[in-house]
Amino acid sequence: MPDQEKDKAATLAANAAAEPTSSPVSGPVAKTPTDEEAAQYFFGEPLVGFDPSEITGSLIVIEGMDGSGRSTQIALLQEWLESEGFAVQTSGLRRSNLVGQDIDQLLAKNAVTRLTLSLMYATDFFDQVEHRILPALRAGTVVLADRFIFTLIARGVVRGINRDYISGLYAMALRPHLTFWLNVRPETAFAREFKKAQAISYWEAGRDMSLSHDLYWSFIRYQTMIKREFEVMAKRHAFIELDGEASVSTVNKQLRQRIGERLGIRATKYAPSAALAHLWR
Amino acid sequence: MDNQESPQRSPRSEAAKSTLPQPGRPVPSRAYPGALIVVEGTDGSGKSTQLYLLKRWLEIGGYRLHFTEWNSSPLVKSATRRGKQRRLLTPTTFSLLHAADFADRCERQIMPLLQADYLVLADRYVYTAFARDASRGCPPRWLRNLYRFAPIPDITFYFRAPLDVAVNRILSGRPKLKYYEAGMDLGLSYDRSESFRLFQARILEEYDKMVESDNFVVLDGTLPVNKLQKQMRDIVASKIDLKRFAPGVPDAE
Repeated sequence: MPDQEKDKAATLAANAAAEPTSSPVSGPVAKTPTDEEAAQYFFGEPLVGFDPSEITGSLIVIEGMDGSGRSTQIALLQEWLESEGFAVQTSGLRRSNLVGQDIDQLLAKNAVTRLTLSLMYATDFFDQVEHRILPALRAGTVVLADRFIFTLIARGVVRGINRDYISGLYAMALRPHLTFWLNVRPETAFAREFKKAQAISYWEAGRDMSLSHDLYWSFIRYQTMIKREFEVMAKRHAFIELDGEASVSTVNKQLRQRIGERLGIRATKYAPSAALAHLWR
Repeated sequence: MDNQESPQRSPRSEAAKSTLPQPGRPVPSRAYPGALIVVEGTDGSGKSTQLYLLKRWLEIGGYRLHFTEWNSSPLVKSATRRGKQRRLLTPTTFSLLHAADFADRCERQIMPLLQADYLVLADRYVYTAFARDASRGCPPRWLRNLYRFAPIPDITFYFRAPLDVAVNRILSGRPKLKYYEAGMDLGLSYDRSESFRLFQARILEEYDKMVESDNFVVLDGTLPVNKLQKQMRDIVASKIDLKRFAPGVPDAE
């Protein structure tokens, strides 16, 4: 292996002038994990060209429906971790450079079928894994993921996509070190979301599924279906379930405790800075 | 409360009632009245020329048909273009983006037309993804799952040409190979032509592995065009009841 690496470096230098643009992805030259490693670090299949032993950071996922308080908690956690001296990277759905905007456009036009949309979301997800999450984890950063494969799987399944199929799609996703589920009642989530924007979006209410012409009932039924999927996955993937109905500071304290254990932060006392104080109710 | 009457169909009731492919379940080839003919092979194997001639033959005969091409969905096009131009694509996202493209064509064209009793001709199909993406290192099991929703073709023609023949056809006709086309992302070689050759060799190997398991009809890509076309037409005529797709002719049964 080291010899090969050396050869590669030599070729690289020799051809640097011929091919000045971005280097090829480390791709198949990296070691392929065994089946055991694939199960330990991924959801069953290894990600091409990636050696899981390189990970020194922590992947922490916050899941929960719209209005469960995910983004509030992530903003607070980021501040807390940075004050403790940890580098933090965040990720979330539709934030990839590759297809983030394309998905926004597809959603706006509402002209896409469920399977195509699922695959676009998968593309968005893996682009972020490969270009944002993995580089950060290799550098020892704490990655706070605002949603993960679980939301994407749940959304697909309630729309009639075979569960094994969509789980298989995400078999190459990295296994998070901690997965929190902020569980709230759909009714609470509706009230919070409505308060935030004085409106409920088409997709949040699952309007594409024709569950009800009434916006409120559409939202409640859709989010209840999603929640059922989460209950199934919570057991299988050892989610840490937190009561999302509790106050921001209570939930945040529970999060800090578990994350503190993982990162070896002993004192988990924290109060938000003036910039974030408005979140702390 | 705009949007009250959404024009969007309900995917749920569609899933419950129709015979559209359930994503994740293989589609038995007789779940619809139409027929699906697919051509596969490496770049330069002659498959597109042959499919074009088959299409012309059927068009001139007045048969109901639809032609579809790999990587051509307008919905996914801008993303693919951006990914390729900026070289953002990895083996995984390259694969997923092509799957999204195929899913879009499958759900909006291929399946509905097979149900509407059309002959559907596809220039490249899921086997292209199996061969190319496996060559890029994607796990074969994952790839097979990714395309499980695809209907199984009635005939899959595999145009097999020796590596040198196919590669030379491409290199002599194209001024400059594109980055991903040449497999430059694999880091096999910094010389584009050489990288292309190495990449195509891998793909050829992957295609050969599927001949048995996926019932490929293997044709010799080095034969003269008209001879090859005759073989192709004979096989189509023997395997598919073409009368059914002819205009205005009532079903014999």
